[in-house]
Amino acid sequence: MRRLSKLAPLLAAAMVLAACGSDDDGGGTSEGGGGASAGEPQAGGEMTVLEDTAFTGSWPAGLDPATNTTGGANLPMMQSIYGGLFLLRSDDDGSNAAVEGNQAESGELSEDGTVFTVKLREGIEFSDGTPMDAEAVKLNWERALASPCTCKPTWPLAPDGIAVVDPTTLTLTFTQPYAAVSASFPTSNVNWIASPTALEKQGPDDFKINPVGAGPFKVVSNQLSSELVLEKNETYFEEGQPYLDKLTFQSIGGDQAAYQALQAGQAQAYEGLNTTPLLEQAQDNDQLQVSIQAATSPYVIQLNTKTGPFTDPKAREAIYAATDFEAINEGIFGGRYEVSQGFTAPGGLFYEQEVDGYPEFDPDHAKELVDELGGLTVKLGTISNYVATQINTALQTQWEEAGIDVEIEDYQLSTLIQQFTGGQWQAMLQTAGAWDPASGVGVGFRFGSRSPFSGVSDPELDQLLADAASSIDEDERGDLYQQAAELIASKFYAPFGLAFAPANISVKGVHGPGLTTVIPAALVNSQVIWDEVWMEQ
Amino acid sequence: MAVADTPISVTDHPGLEHGHEEEPRRGKWRQSLGTWIPAGMIALILLACVFGPLVLPEPTGGSVLESNLPALSPGHLLGTDPNGNDILSRLLNGGRASLFIAAAVNVLGLVVGGTLGALSGYVGGAVDTTIMRLLDVLIAFPSLVLTLAVAQALGPSITNTILALAFFSIPAFARVARSAVLRLREMPFMAAAQISGTSTGRILFRHLAPNIAPQLITFGMLGMGIVIIIEGALSFLGLGVPDPAPSWGNMVATGQLSLSATPMLVVWPSLALLITVLSFNLLGENLRSRWSGR
Amino acid sequence: MTAATLPRVPGNRDPRVSRGRRVAGSPALRLIVKRVLMAIPIIIGVTILASWVLSLIPGNAAQQLLGPQATPEDIALLEEQLGLNESGVSRYLDWLGGAVTGDLGQSVVSGQEVSDLLAERLPVSGELVGLAFVVSLLVALPVALFAAHRPNGVFDRISMVISTVGLSVANYVLALILVLIFAVQLGWLPAIGYTPLSEGLWANLEGMILPSAAIGIPLFCFYTRFLRGDLVDQMQQEEYVTTARAKGVGSWQVLLRHAFRNSSFGLITVVGLNLGALIGGTVIVESIFALPGIGQMLLQAINTRDFIVVQAVVVVFAVVAVVANLIVDLLYVLLDPRIRYGSR
Repeated sequence: MRRLSKLAPLLAAAMVLAACGSDDDGGGTSEGGGGASAGEPQAGGEMTVLEDTAFTGSWPAGLDPATNTTGGANLPMMQSIYGGLFLLRSDDDGSNAAVEGNQAESGELSEDGTVFTVKLREGIEFSDGTPMDAEAVKLNWERALASPCTCKPTWPLAPDGIAVVDPTTLTLTFTQPYAAVSASFPTSNVNWIASPTALEKQGPDDFKINPVGAGPFKVVSNQLSSELVLEKNETYFEEGQPYLDKLTFQSIGGDQAAYQALQAGQAQAYEGLNTTPLLEQAQDNDQLQVSIQAATSPYVIQLNTKTGPFTDPKAREAIYAATDFEAINEGIFGGRYEVSQGFTAPGGLFYEQEVDGYPEFDPDHAKELVDELGGLTVKLGTISNYVATQINTALQTQWEEAGIDVEIEDYQLSTLIQQFTGGQWQAMLQTAGAWDPASGVGVGFRFGSRSPFSGVSDPELDQLLADAASSIDEDERGDLYQQAAELIASKFYAPFGLAFAPANISVKGVHGPGLTTVIPAALVNSQVIWDEVWMEQ
Repeated sequence: MAVADTPISVTDHPGLEHGHEEEPRRGKWRQSLGTWIPAGMIALILLACVFGPLVLPEPTGGSVLESNLPALSPGHLLGTDPNGNDILSRLLNGGRASLFIAAAVNVLGLVVGGTLGALSGYVGGAVDTTIMRLLDVLIAFPSLVLTLAVAQALGPSITNTILALAFFSIPAFARVARSAVLRLREMPFMAAAQISGTSTGRILFRHLAPNIAPQLITFGMLGMGIVIIIEGALSFLGLGVPDPAPSWGNMVATGQLSLSATPMLVVWPSLALLITVLSFNLLGENLRSRWSGR
Repeated sequence: MTAATLPRVPGNRDPRVSRGRRVAGSPALRLIVKRVLMAIPIIIGVTILASWVLSLIPGNAAQQLLGPQATPEDIALLEEQLGLNESGVSRYLDWLGGAVTGDLGQSVVSGQEVSDLLAERLPVSGELVGLAFVVSLLVALPVALFAAHRPNGVFDRISMVISTVGLSVANYVLALILVLIFAVQLGWLPAIGYTPLSEGLWANLEGMILPSAAIGIPLFCFYTRFLRGDLVDQMQQEEYVTTARAKGVGSWQVLLRHAFRNSSFGLITVVGLNLGALIGGTVIVESIFALPGIGQMLLQAINTRDFIVVQAVVVVFAVVAVVANLIVDLLYVLLDPRIRYGSR
């Protein structure tokens, strides 16, 4: 089992093409997908889905969108109970991803980018029979925005910015143009609408355990962080869906145990496999299908430019020159992933593989720089998880070959936060970016001057990121993000690495978007659309 | 955790006061063989762990381009791990760490626990009650909570691991020492010492210590293996020997993450552990029967 | 886990020390009263120790729940919502005050009643540990007896090697291997999951076999080795054995009626002492087999810094340990009425 001690590790998300590109044998991403090749969906069946205790499989605070403080991790549970106003959908291979209405019919941003109008579908009811109307949505949004969860959206909302226009229409008014608004929905708590009547009747404590939504499934029983049993919601708005009669989420300790449970037939799917040797084994197993998700957040080595050795650009340049992520990708991950030069990854909106002026791997140059500096000693940290630890270990070797003294540290969550807030850290392996870099915690989190988790303080970069977030012209946004990436490279702020993505594995005969096809991760993990998951009978 | 179920025998084995029958010759020969074979094995393991690393590649800092080589690859007898490190080197270096931790924990337990227990048993009365009740609290305390607290408060390191483990070896040694002393206390030579006015400290160290030492040492021998296994379970929980430095325990704990795909990562350290535990147990048992005068 | 499990043999309960001293009265009753009274300060001591140890752990529930990307404002907001701003001492005293009156409080994180959580999860861990314990003991007895019947014979050697192997394999590895063999390869038993007893005895047992084997096998190995060693000592050293033999009593009879009877004192001491700690041994096994037991809950609670829940589990562990010791003491009395207690 993985190290047990974190609730919200950064298991980076993602990746699109590499699965098909580099692995021709074993279950690629397209095979057995939800597309035409799989045949018509069949209704019926019961399915058990495993979720890793260390991340998705922990929901200690319950499943009320406004109080589930680990909501960003618990996407499977939240989507199956609440459905979602908007969903991120894409072609089976993860391309052409776009946010589409689900319980919302549409979401339109005004010309000037400051008003977002959400139109709900007519006649949607919560599973307790009460209507899911604009008032209910407004109430939910207000609760969600007041939540401390990092899964709440970071809207530049005007005072009283949420308005009900008519029973199926709401508007959001912003203080500045905000292009990323629709991208902010799919993984944030404003997407999940709970029944206000049920909440009122049951009280908030009971509602956490027995939540009521208008999603494809209803709660049968809920044992926090252990097991969530759901049954089909007969009144779900989408005709004929969900396909499954019963869906059970089960928390399990680690990839190996989950893999064995799938082989033994006790479960039909597992989300978020990280362990490369097991991934390879699963790909060779003809009872299983493997879908590597579309990465949107590449790894990045954050360098603290505010204090310590990396105030000197030469030291930062040495790190760039000493780092060879291609070799790490080949050696540890079998070349499965793409190596990014900026904060975008293959699954993301504004992905560019190359960044102009990105310093190349050049160990001799690194050695020269280290000599000029008269030696360089670095403390490189990361959060304690399997993939990050492996990458850090490999980085240590590479840097030491360039004459840099490296000490590596695996931090538990609380220590990691202390390191950042204490400000004395030197180098940190983290992930950066999102499907839309402006949504969620995004890039500003790692690079903005005001973020406590950033090692950079550069007004020029702040401006570029702010402009990109507020522009409503897609091309212009792409341009600005590319400029930001070039700026980061030219100042040697932080070398980027491979865009790692966990995989979903499932037994043959299971089909579903996000599970057997690829959907980019909007933030950290991909969202399976559980309404449409079906099993061959 | 892993370990709850791998305890050690602490019952006192009646011995010191028992008869000293002459063993038949063959029995004696067998018995000394029974002592020297495991002792030899332990010596071999120690030598390999101390000197092996001198001739082998570093246990860390391997190149990722040489990752997951199979056994018998050139230059890597047992192959390499996912980070490209030589497994044999990790095994021997890891053994060094594991054996060091196990020895340190047992020595700490023996010295601190042994003293507390002997004092408690010899002095009796309020001192005994206080010491034993405090130890009862430690014994009833779920070690997982302590271990995780140490892991998260102090972070993983060899010292912290030893600290956390000693917390539990001390009460165990104290119990053994106390029950041994209780038995000795009623023996004639003790009465003689007391009558002749020997000071308590002198009695403790000159008369009691040499007599209870064999029992404590055999207990420690049996405990070596258990400590090594527990150290692995600690790696599981974020304590233990920190990455990337190896120990048998953390090699097993990391290897099992992909057990079905890379079984050898678990097999090698487990095998090393098995041989070591077997040797220590055999030696411990033989010493026990020797010292109990059979 | 760990050495809490190292069995401790309290000297004052050593049957060999006190055997032969005669007492009048009802030792069992006096013993129960005395031990129950003694248990109270021990359990309170454990909870004090626990709250001190927990106060050393960095981070609080708010930080842990919100993860590495939370802003200080969010953390402050959640701290307030969860009521985390009290000092450790006053929190402990509040808790103790409630606990004494039977109110274990509510989970800081989910607001659930802790007593409900225990009621839900204790039976799972209880069954797991109980099964592992009973079966391992039942198998260990005959194996140890056969091994001790002919020390250094073939059976003895084989059982020695097997039990050392069992003690050298980490139990999380053992758990995975058992699943690999019996669930994946042979398909005889389920790999994960818990089925309540209400859904049928076999359905329930089926899911418990592998996890309890993962806990029980090392236990069996230990009991076997322990009992065998003690029996051999008895057979070789004790005078009554020699006497019995001289009288021409058969070797099995000596083994069973004399040596085993005496060795059982040591065995129950060890058994009783590690029973309390065993329940702590369930954590990893429960997470591998996805069993909703108390070990899983404890780990979750530590990770989310839900110290009210942790305290409750600590108390449960301590009570089990204390009760197990009490039962051991009572068994002594039953097995040998001459034993006197509480003289020290």
